[in-house]
Amino acid sequence: MDFTWSKEQTELLDAVQRFASQRLKANVIESDRNDCFNLEDWKACGQFGIQGLPAPVEYGGLGMDALTTVGALERLGYACKDNGLLFSINAHLWTVVMPLITAGTEQQKRKYLPGLCNGTLIGANAMSEPNSGSDAFSLSTTAQKAGAKYVLNGSKTFVTNGPVGDLFAVYATVDKSKGAHGVSGFLVERNTPGLVIARKLEKMGLRTSPMAELYLEDCEVPAENLLGTEGGGSFLFTRSMTWERGCILASAVGSMQRLLETCVRYANTRKQFGQPIGKFQHVAGKIVDMKLRLETCRLLLYRGAWLRTQGKSGFLEASLAKLHISDCWVKTCEDALQIHGGYGYMVEYEIERELRDALGSRLYSGTSEIQRNLIASLLGL
Amino acid sequence: MIQTLVILEHDGHCVKRASLSAVALARQLGGSYALGVLGSGVAEIADSVRSFGASVVLVADHPALAEPRADCYAAVIAETARQRGASTVVGTSSTFTKDILPRVAALLDAPMLSDVMAVEIKDGVPCYQRPLSAGSLCATVKLQGDVRVLTARGTAFHPPSPNGAPSPVEPIAFDAASLPNGTQFVSRERSTSTRPDLTEARVVVSGGRPLKDKETFERLIGGLADALGGAVGATRAAVDAGMAPNACQVGQTGTVVAPELYIAVGVSGAIQHLAGIQDSRVIVAINRDPDAPIFQMANYGLVGDLHALVPRLIEAVRA
Amino acid sequence: MSEARPWIINPFDEIAIEEALRIRERGEAREVVGVTIAPSAAEEQIRAALAMGLDRALRVDDRRELDPYAVARILLAVVRQEKPDLVLMGKQAVDDDANQVGQMLAGLLNWPQATFVSKIEFLNGGQRAQCTRETDRGLEVIAVNLPAVVTTDLRLNEPRYVSLPGLMKARRRPIELLTCQQLAVEVQPRTTVAATSPAPRRSAGLKVESVEDLLVRLRQHEKVL
Repeated sequence: MDFTWSKEQTELLDAVQRFASQRLKANVIESDRNDCFNLEDWKACGQFGIQGLPAPVEYGGLGMDALTTVGALERLGYACKDNGLLFSINAHLWTVVMPLITAGTEQQKRKYLPGLCNGTLIGANAMSEPNSGSDAFSLSTTAQKAGAKYVLNGSKTFVTNGPVGDLFAVYATVDKSKGAHGVSGFLVERNTPGLVIARKLEKMGLRTSPMAELYLEDCEVPAENLLGTEGGGSFLFTRSMTWERGCILASAVGSMQRLLETCVRYANTRKQFGQPIGKFQHVAGKIVDMKLRLETCRLLLYRGAWLRTQGKSGFLEASLAKLHISDCWVKTCEDALQIHGGYGYMVEYEIERELRDALGSRLYSGTSEIQRNLIASLLGL
Repeated sequence: MIQTLVILEHDGHCVKRASLSAVALARQLGGSYALGVLGSGVAEIADSVRSFGASVVLVADHPALAEPRADCYAAVIAETARQRGASTVVGTSSTFTKDILPRVAALLDAPMLSDVMAVEIKDGVPCYQRPLSAGSLCATVKLQGDVRVLTARGTAFHPPSPNGAPSPVEPIAFDAASLPNGTQFVSRERSTSTRPDLTEARVVVSGGRPLKDKETFERLIGGLADALGGAVGATRAAVDAGMAPNACQVGQTGTVVAPELYIAVGVSGAIQHLAGIQDSRVIVAINRDPDAPIFQMANYGLVGDLHALVPRLIEAVRA
Repeated sequence: MSEARPWIINPFDEIAIEEALRIRERGEAREVVGVTIAPSAAEEQIRAALAMGLDRALRVDDRRELDPYAVARILLAVVRQEKPDLVLMGKQAVDDDANQVGQMLAGLLNWPQATFVSKIEFLNGGQRAQCTRETDRGLEVIAVNLPAVVTTDLRLNEPRYVSLPGLMKARRRPIELLTCQQLAVEVQPRTTVAATSPAPRRSAGLKVESVEDLLVRLRQHEKVL
């Protein structure tokens, strides 16, 4: 089992880290406080190539395999403190870019992928509704076929990138009686009449990632914007979930590495009772646990990605990774806060924000409870 | 025959005082030295430097030399050094000498060392000291070869006072027709400032980015400089932001200064800036941040809002 | 549009590279070639420069500590081989005092030079370059006939960032290798650093409470006002 990155991969990953540390230096404390999306940094990432990491080269992407992709996202998470920006990038990648790649028509790919890959088009996901969160396929938004178009009606919530999105992946049902087999995906452009981007939602964490509610009021979508097949929406969604769950917390692993290093530095310099606090077992013990968590998360992350590079589905591994990394990220943030004592509670130390950001990870892409149900059923229970 | 040829800088009216620091270096190197003045209509300037102990003041006075075009000046200087058998060509570090002297060195097939701060002759061999790593290190360097080109850090050598018997003035023989003609002078920004030159002022007041804009910079930094009869300096960040002209930039890539009093307003103390002021006699820092690095090397530090403190200081100075 | 021949830059400095790329993008140059004198460890930086958009990259293999004159002599040989119309260079990598190599190279070539340039424009169909120079006396504008050597001021431009697609394409591009022997140039360093020592450091002084307090100290204690 070869655990080393190749020379080419190392060059690429180093370039990503250098880019993030040199170029993404916005004042996140202020953006977080003011609930601001950093469009400048989004564009810089787009020009650099982040928004197109796994997309085929012929559509403007980098054609990176799953493992290199998670490696790149990990470095991004390490060098960039704006978890909200990274969350927006991930949402864009896994809910719009990836489904387009796997299920899009040639025409759709040519039309949308180049702009999505260089960040000039922002992708947004409209799946959840006020009455359907974990129970995704019980959604109520309807799509009525009418000649060469579909008419969508309903409301969506928790639409990540909603306020700034250019292309929305909207899930609606063509036949509620068919349950999951009626769900279909649609690509809806921003200025389509009947697509109403409504109230901006204020979140506990990931505040620099904009989120809104959405209304579809007789929204007419051309038939060629059906994503995948009619009724094939749930299959599309589930398939893109493997990528999403397997990759969305790669940057969290980078973040955990950064927090570990921060805590080691602090524990070595902060003195109380005549010695560095790192000498106290309670503090050292927490840092050891942080390291242990970091390594297990990394292994799960890489293995799931590696399976995908081998053409295997990696669905179980993606779920395990998502479940484990989210729990570990929250715990690591809690430990970092505790280790920093009163300072950890202060906004300017940026640890409390990490914790607020991390807490969301147990909810999106399927809550931890849903992951456990899934894994249990995959284990034959 | 002379040992050292010292190239002086002038602005068409008088010699730049800092360029006389190179004379001090020439004296330390030992042996005879000549002063070189190039330009057009520079007879008076040549006259003004006759009492600095040179064996001779050499003048190249010709319309073709009206502006310091590097290719022409270097050709004349190199030819003069050869004619007079000079083994060393020196000047005080400035954009003028940085532009021209390396080219002279190439024409003379000579090594060049810039920003020399001191020289010690050991067993007949000169050992030059120059700064490294933004002034945090001092290197002792030796050069091989029969001829060398040096620039002196102006703040490290005191310009000599005029005294002694007047040196003779001689014209430099050169063929103007065979001078390179690939460079044309187009224009120069004329400074209308009545403030003293940065390298000559006894007091320098510098501002950094917190001065916000050009108007505020001029009002506060210019205002304080005027109240103290001093020159205006700026950090690279302030120049980049358009608050002050490039000629005001103080620091490693700007002008190195060593005035009696240096007042740094809203300057955090980046190492490149500090490299340009470390030999000032007294440094005063005014900054809102008590942990700003500049307080580590300032004689006096005043922590507070410069927008309130500087006007008060100007008033108190005038009182 | 300038006549055929390639442009060279040295050493790898982003500002000079950026300017060369912009000149090519304006259609005023046909080719941008980058040269560096360095051991093979520098290949990563060379690749980053290729990723910015260089047409070709050359590396002269030399791992010695070279003084500026030695660098200029090696570049002279490269320039004679490549025959560019313009040599652009930025901050010198070897000497932290900067800006000797360009002038020396110009002297060896007997080409006009423009140093500390913050703006370049081409005139007469690319036969002359009008350059704005940043001097300690203020801005100066000169025009130089091509071929010429231009050294850049830090304010000339803001270099573009390397993108991942650029990096991946650059990976497949060759870096041409040269040696001093091939170039028929022999250089010996003529500068020896006999010793280095830490420079005397100023220490922190004291904090004063008010403007009045400061003036008392400057007037009475330091007698500087």
